[in-house]
Amino acid sequence: MIPSPLTTPASPASSAPAELAKSFRRDLARHAQRLRGALAARWALGGAALGSALAGGVTAGFWLSTRHLELRLPLAAAIVGCCAAAGLLRGRRQAWSDAKVALFLDRELEAHEHIVTAEEQLRSGNADAAVLEPALSALSRGTPTPRVVLRRHAPQSAALALGLALVLTFMLLPVRRAIATPPPVGAGAFQTNTTPGLDKVIALANAPPRDEAERERLAKIANDAEKLKADLLKGMEQREALDRVAKLEEALEQERLSLGAGEKRQGLEAAQAKLDEQSVTKKAAQALGDHDLQSLDAEMERIANSQEAEDRKAAKKALEEAIAAAKKNGAKDVAKALQEQKDRFEEREKRAALLRELESALRGQPGDAERKSDRESLDRKGSDEAARKLGDAMAKALEKMTPEERKKLAENMAKLAQKGGNGSGADPGAEKDLAKKLGTPEGQRELEDQLKDLAKQDLESPEAKKDGALDDAQGGLGDTKKQLGGIVPMPGAPGPGNGMPGGNDGKGPPGSGSHHDTGTGDHNGATQPIAGDTLRSRAKGPTNRGAPMPGTVTMWSEGKPGGTAVTPRTGDLRAAGATELDGVERSDVPTEYREQLRQYFQP
Amino acid sequence: MSDALFAAAKTSIERLTTAVGRVIVGQNAVVEEVLWGLLGGGHVLLEGAPGLGKTLLVRTLAECLDLGFSRIQFTPDLMPSDVVGTNVLVLDPSARGQGGAFTLQKGPIFGQLVLADEINRATPKTQSALLEAMAEHTVTIAGIRHTLEEPFTVLATENPIEMEGTYPLPEAQLDRFLLKVVVPNPTEAELCEVLARTTGRESPRAERVLTRDQVLELRALCRDIRVAEPVLRYAARLVRASDPQDPTTSAVLRKALRFGAGVRGAQSLVLAAKAAALVGGRPNVAFEDIDRVAKPVLRHRLLLSFEGEAEGRSTDAVVDLLLASVQKRPADVEAERART
Repeated sequence: MIPSPLTTPASPASSAPAELAKSFRRDLARHAQRLRGALAARWALGGAALGSALAGGVTAGFWLSTRHLELRLPLAAAIVGCCAAAGLLRGRRQAWSDAKVALFLDRELEAHEHIVTAEEQLRSGNADAAVLEPALSALSRGTPTPRVVLRRHAPQSAALALGLALVLTFMLLPVRRAIATPPPVGAGAFQTNTTPGLDKVIALANAPPRDEAERERLAKIANDAEKLKADLLKGMEQREALDRVAKLEEALEQERLSLGAGEKRQGLEAAQAKLDEQSVTKKAAQALGDHDLQSLDAEMERIANSQEAEDRKAAKKALEEAIAAAKKNGAKDVAKALQEQKDRFEEREKRAALLRELESALRGQPGDAERKSDRESLDRKGSDEAARKLGDAMAKALEKMTPEERKKLAENMAKLAQKGGNGSGADPGAEKDLAKKLGTPEGQRELEDQLKDLAKQDLESPEAKKDGALDDAQGGLGDTKKQLGGIVPMPGAPGPGNGMPGGNDGKGPPGSGSHHDTGTGDHNGATQPIAGDTLRSRAKGPTNRGAPMPGTVTMWSEGKPGGTAVTPRTGDLRAAGATELDGVERSDVPTEYREQLRQYFQP
Repeated sequence: MSDALFAAAKTSIERLTTAVGRVIVGQNAVVEEVLWGLLGGGHVLLEGAPGLGKTLLVRTLAECLDLGFSRIQFTPDLMPSDVVGTNVLVLDPSARGQGGAFTLQKGPIFGQLVLADEINRATPKTQSALLEAMAEHTVTIAGIRHTLEEPFTVLATENPIEMEGTYPLPEAQLDRFLLKVVVPNPTEAELCEVLARTTGRESPRAERVLTRDQVLELRALCRDIRVAEPVLRYAARLVRASDPQDPTTSAVLRKALRFGAGVRGAQSLVLAAKAAALVGGRPNVAFEDIDRVAKPVLRHRLLLSFEGEAEGRSTDAVVDLLLASVQKRPADVEAERART
């Protein structure tokens, strides 16, 4: 009889599937916990190792820079802790599933995939004892040992130990002696009780303003200068003082360019074009375009005092047209300034004509040579100063004249008036009045007084006076800057060297050195004078103070002491006026290109 | 089911191998592989030189299992009807030659353990007659379908030498064999034992160990063997990696192979692995079971390319490459295991 082993009853020791499943779950959970814990620990250890390396670097950095030394320990601990926590979190997020754990255990315990099969069956809910029993038996064989766990984490542990050793090294190393850092350049205190340069700026408050707004601006500049003066009296940082001087300089420059600025620029240009049309006023046109009102005044003074009637007529016509053009284009301030020029032009013209008539009539009288010289000076220079000198000489001559001589002078004047004058352009009626005056002692005295007043008369325009005041103020600021110690060297710029290559005076950083020839050769001799008149090549650009030469626009303003690199400045666009910066909005440039254009011209 | 059931099955199988071992000297691996085929419900192709005991093995197995044994010696003139049988006219002696009826004369295929000896010597027509029986466990004679008695297993032998005048089995027919077992030459000790046993007065006799029902029961139990998903995926990856067109196949395999195993190959791999697990007395398939059965299952399903043959590779070597190229477990599990 063949036995039937397949029908052999189950072993009495076999447990019910439910109990087996429970035991299996418990054992698997125990192993899974151990494994997941070991994996998370490795991630945490890896994170801590990375953190310790970082902490070592940070500690070393602090030690090397000898700064924040007290932060080394807490910062290192925080970095290591954060990295370990991040590693742990990552480890937890990448925790193995039960199936993966079972696969690993099968491999580790050589369980012939009993465990993974049992785990899968339990998950599907139809586990049987045949699968659970060997799986349970395999699980009971596996016992985690600390040695295995430690060996598994050996690289991370070693890295952590190295990192911590690095941290410890830079904690225990003696602290290096801190290198004394020199105070920042320009940080020294400055005190003075004499600031003649600033007084010139304060005097701007008395300069004739164009309008109320300008009066306020000038007053503010003067006020700022006064405050600076007071602060300098108390003492302040050099760089701060230089910064405030620089701001005042900028405000002065803005003020200088305020005539015909912004929307009035079109009027200014129209007026300039009108002046430019006449050859005699070309220089005046250039001066107006350069906002050099002193030069404009000087030029108009020269033309008004000129002997050439045609020139004066052409200049007057050009001025009238320029005034009309400025008004038409909305530049009222320009029109006003030109109108003042025209009024003064006419005054000067009359005065010069009168002086010339008198000089002609006084010919043959004592002091004739001196007056002739003064008359020639007036004809040549055409300046108010020469006119004043001639007037003064004639007043003195009148004083010294006898009654007969005065009578003769009156007759001469009457003859001249009948002839229609000496061609100086004087009004014939005025000549007759002059002859009449000279005929009476009262009239003579009145004429003397008139000539003396002439010497005192100031025909300079308010704009020119203000321009002059601005020039003085600018010069004053330059003096103040020198007084404060000059330009503070910017970081990286050469210091005040002694001119020798690599030289150092021991106070500032070494200079860039001069390449001056220090040889022993003969340097005597002189360069031959150059016949400048024959040179055809000339700089076309105006030598306008404070404005760059044409074609040298760099779009960036020069470094100002105390200023920061990111301070928006008008830069070389100053020549066009700061208010022109928004000119893109008013231009014909299509909207879609405006931003690009604005960025291009952004100082 | 309990673990004891599989332990009992293991004991039975061990008794069977012991019984076979009394007649067959050595060849333990061959016996085990044939048992995989038998328990897996498939057919086995035995390849080996003449005189290595292939026929004896099959005959002994049939005796030990109390199964109907039949043998077909394939020759070029063998007809399909010689295999499956035919209807013959049987005269009624009482009718004096006037009456008679057609009676089914069953062929040797109607056995339970059929030995198809030197199968490659028959013509393809005769070979194909065997195909229906192997695939469907039925034969059709004169339009009537006859079901074969279970357990029906064909154990075919093939002689790797004397290839002249043979008809190599086409791939489709080879694919129907669950396993291709290579019968090696015996070692010196085994040969001495063979000589000692077979040259005496009495030859060893096989003892009946299992009944037909028990064999069927073992077959059913084999189907109940569990396969975890990772193991199943491993088997699938192996089969896919044998396809040179598959993007995951390694460059070496792509170069060495022309055709790989198909779906039937994958089914055979898992079924054979289940049988291997059962032989081992385990209720589930392990990765190592897949590895163990990979060669007998895949060696006749892989077709070497010209380059593969030119390089002198064998299909067994290619299967080794295949096993080395496919990862059993996820990379992190393997890495973690390597750390310990």
